[in-house]
Amino acid sequence: MEIFSGLLQGFAVALTPVNIMWCFIGCFLGTIVGILPGLGPPATIAMLLPLTFQMNPTSAVIMLAGIYYGAKYGGSTTSILLNVPGESASVVTCLDGYQMARNGRGGAALGIAAIASFIAGTFGVIMLMLVAPPLAKFALAFSSPEYFALMCMGLAMVVLLAGKSMVKALLAMLVGLWIAGMGTDLFTAESRFTFGQAELLDGIDFVVVAIGVFALGEVLGNMETREGVAMLPVPKGLRNLLPNVEELKACRFAFLNGSVVGFIIGILPGAGSTVASFISYGIEKAVSKHPEKFGTGVPEGVAAPEGANNAETGGAMVPMLTLGIPGSGTTAILLAAFILWGLKPGPLMIQDNPELFWGLVASMYIGNVILLILNIPLIPLFAQILKLPQYVLYPIIFGISVVGVYSVSDSLFDLSLLTFFGLLGYCMRKLDYPQAPLILGLVLGDAMERALRQSLMMSQGDLSILVSRPLSAGMLVLTALVLAVPMFRKANAWRMKAID
Amino acid sequence: MVKRILIAGSVAALVAANAGEVAAQGFKPTRPIEFLVHTGPGGGNDLLARAISNIVEKEKLLPVRMQVTNKTGGGGITAMSYLSEKKGETHTIALFANTWVNGPLMSKEAKVTLKDLTPIVRLVTEPGVIVVKADSPYKSLKDFIDDAKKQPGQLKQSGGSIGSRDNIVRQLLMKNTGTQWAYISFPGGGERRAALLGGHVQIMVMDPQEAGEHLRNGSLRILAQIAEKRMASLPDVPTVPEAGFNIPNYLVIRGVVGPPDMPAEAVKFWEAFFAKVAKTAAWKKYLADNLFEDGFQTTAELVKFVDVFTEQARTVLKDAGVKIYR
Amino acid sequence: MNRGEVVSGVVLAALGGYIVSEAAHWEYLGPDGPGPGFFPLWYGAAMIVLSAVLVVQNFLAKATVAGRPVNWREVGRVLIVWAGFAVSVALLKVLGFILSFGLFVLFMVAGMYRRPLRVAISVAVGCAAGFYLVFPFALDVRLPIGVLGF
Repeated sequence: MEIFSGLLQGFAVALTPVNIMWCFIGCFLGTIVGILPGLGPPATIAMLLPLTFQMNPTSAVIMLAGIYYGAKYGGSTTSILLNVPGESASVVTCLDGYQMARNGRGGAALGIAAIASFIAGTFGVIMLMLVAPPLAKFALAFSSPEYFALMCMGLAMVVLLAGKSMVKALLAMLVGLWIAGMGTDLFTAESRFTFGQAELLDGIDFVVVAIGVFALGEVLGNMETREGVAMLPVPKGLRNLLPNVEELKACRFAFLNGSVVGFIIGILPGAGSTVASFISYGIEKAVSKHPEKFGTGVPEGVAAPEGANNAETGGAMVPMLTLGIPGSGTTAILLAAFILWGLKPGPLMIQDNPELFWGLVASMYIGNVILLILNIPLIPLFAQILKLPQYVLYPIIFGISVVGVYSVSDSLFDLSLLTFFGLLGYCMRKLDYPQAPLILGLVLGDAMERALRQSLMMSQGDLSILVSRPLSAGMLVLTALVLAVPMFRKANAWRMKAID
Repeated sequence: MVKRILIAGSVAALVAANAGEVAAQGFKPTRPIEFLVHTGPGGGNDLLARAISNIVEKEKLLPVRMQVTNKTGGGGITAMSYLSEKKGETHTIALFANTWVNGPLMSKEAKVTLKDLTPIVRLVTEPGVIVVKADSPYKSLKDFIDDAKKQPGQLKQSGGSIGSRDNIVRQLLMKNTGTQWAYISFPGGGERRAALLGGHVQIMVMDPQEAGEHLRNGSLRILAQIAEKRMASLPDVPTVPEAGFNIPNYLVIRGVVGPPDMPAEAVKFWEAFFAKVAKTAAWKKYLADNLFEDGFQTTAELVKFVDVFTEQARTVLKDAGVKIYR
Repeated sequence: MNRGEVVSGVVLAALGGYIVSEAAHWEYLGPDGPGPGFFPLWYGAAMIVLSAVLVVQNFLAKATVAGRPVNWREVGRVLIVWAGFAVSVALLKVLGFILSFGLFVLFMVAGMYRRPLRVAISVAVGCAAGFYLVFPFALDVRLPIGVLGF
């Protein structure tokens, strides 16, 4: 079979000592980049590009892919240990991951994140290998109406993230939508809600809001008393630092959920890992037997989004390699790199440069293994961070937040925004407004509005375009179902009560 | 007495002449050069700036380092206001692009226009290509326009923001032919191409580089090229005027600009410096690889060009119904 | 009745009102589809409606469901820390990251956590030095630079 021979060829290329070394370097760099909030794979890859011109293309590709993967693995570390999201998709990991750390299961959370990432990442690579070309056609069928439906599905997750007060969750989401709308309107160049400030023309960066609301909000909350809120002591012994059998069993469905959702959403150019993480988390919560426990530190709440995040990598490679269309910021730069080296991604790439394509695929497998091996022993090391006394740890978190935000935009204005959002995060905690819907609204609001307006432009104002196409109609139906879940649950609970 | 005056006069003249020469040779960079770009790492201007600094380093054209700094935001507005704060600075220059001209036209918040800064040289102009899907019924630009005439407002083009070249070319064509078709903005090149390849829009304007790969695998067809004269790589494709539509050739340009009040000797230095860069073989190869055109213009030419260019954009955008602020 | 909820409800309603009033300046439905005013109008209106619901819910709630009384002392501590952080961010332009951050750590350890001055100074210096070594030095990540050049 062609695939197997290609894969063998690829492994032959990828398993040379030189390429293993480059893979390792890439993974290592990527992990560090991922741990740092703010600084992301696109910037790192762009900065390293000139260096790669001296290398042979296959090795360079392997290294850059390693960075891409490594960053995904690394991003979960600060989310879990410090409630500082490393990049947009890691926000969802903060929800249960940080709580697990607070409960003394930080090491286990890191382990689950690594395992979920490995399973999902491998799944993504396998799917890429087996079904890339037909999937590419699927990606093309997806256009603005389908994106709109997808975003609706994502926003409907608010309903599942709501907690006690649906009204407050919706209000938080609306504020998120408002912040997302700030800046220059793409279609008319009209500037909205910029308060006359040129710095707001591009809107407010997600990183600023996420780090402010999550990380700073959390730290400020802990400053209420001098002793602060004690984190449960990190258990001793390697066995206690890794996930135990129960936790792993609880994650069985989550591993599958994350892999599939992440990969499918990754294929769509423009839809990102954040949407994938939220939807995967939402689905996990919807099918769970104990949904009310989500947000207090359940392992599946970490496994699902982390898996989705990683599977998305494999998915994003599909349109890039088979059509030459980048699926995300990182793949856009990878694509530029390929072109600079004289390689031409597209349907002909597999025929013209088989050793590159299969070498890349093989190295993605190897990369996943390397990252798993790298990350597991590092867990006890990272867990030590939790042992630092609060008066050292919390100022460091403030510092990392500042560095993270500044590294994205070099803007002191963004730092003053960060300060404001820190206070907002604290107020939200005090007043019991859930934070996740705010982030969800912020991430999806812009894309959803764009998709809706693009769709209506395509149909000349005809709303039926949203339901006449099978894919978008299907997703809107799913959205309606998701919205119905809490009502269904309430009705059920009512019935149970009536029976007593 | 007269002799003394004559001698004094000639000595003074000699000194003045030499001083003038010394002043003209006067500016030499002594600190690292800050080379600003308004895109993030990997973006169009960023890659160009890095290519330039690589060439400069290889050919040792400067005694000091050239450091590329990214000041992103507002499509150039952040970089422009940063530059405008460095009045009189001689070691900071920036790479500008179309958005530096168009952005301030459409944005109330912009406080700096290109005229406020010191134009130095124009470096490249970038041609574009008008493409359709390979299985599209349109074999020429005329076919598309004819179809647009039959169903006004029904055909669709994907592209960037409304101030981009994509839309300006569209406005010029529509006005010239009296037709109308819709324009749908997508923030990323990938999404625009996906819309075209997926059949959701019928036509788009692309960079020749972008189109290159799709041509090779046969998924796209080029109807016309937007360039002064036919590109060497596309000898059989008519330019838009050759295809029968006499619209002005609206260019995508990149050039170098300095902070306001840059001293004259520094401007002259940079003008001569970039003229040297533009003559190197490495630069010519870079242009050929990226399918750019050598659009070198001296300072004087650039100043005139910016006026014409700004007016062109202003007229087209106003006609298109965009709010113009200056 | 939870006073916090009522106050935040009023604030959010005001925000919603502001959003709607701004949205009125922009096109609601343009020739090509919804304009820039479309979305903001709707979510602004939703904000007003939902905040009203929140406030009303509070007034209708039974008296027995009392909100936790606010411990103003605790909140005060947080606001002081936040103010300290805000000041250190404001000082970044002048003092640069290393100094402002060092001062902030000193403020936190000595002022908020009441550790002895020796400890505070060593932690401040350690953190500032650590950040300098890791970020600009090892990883080439730029940090805000002040008037003094670092």
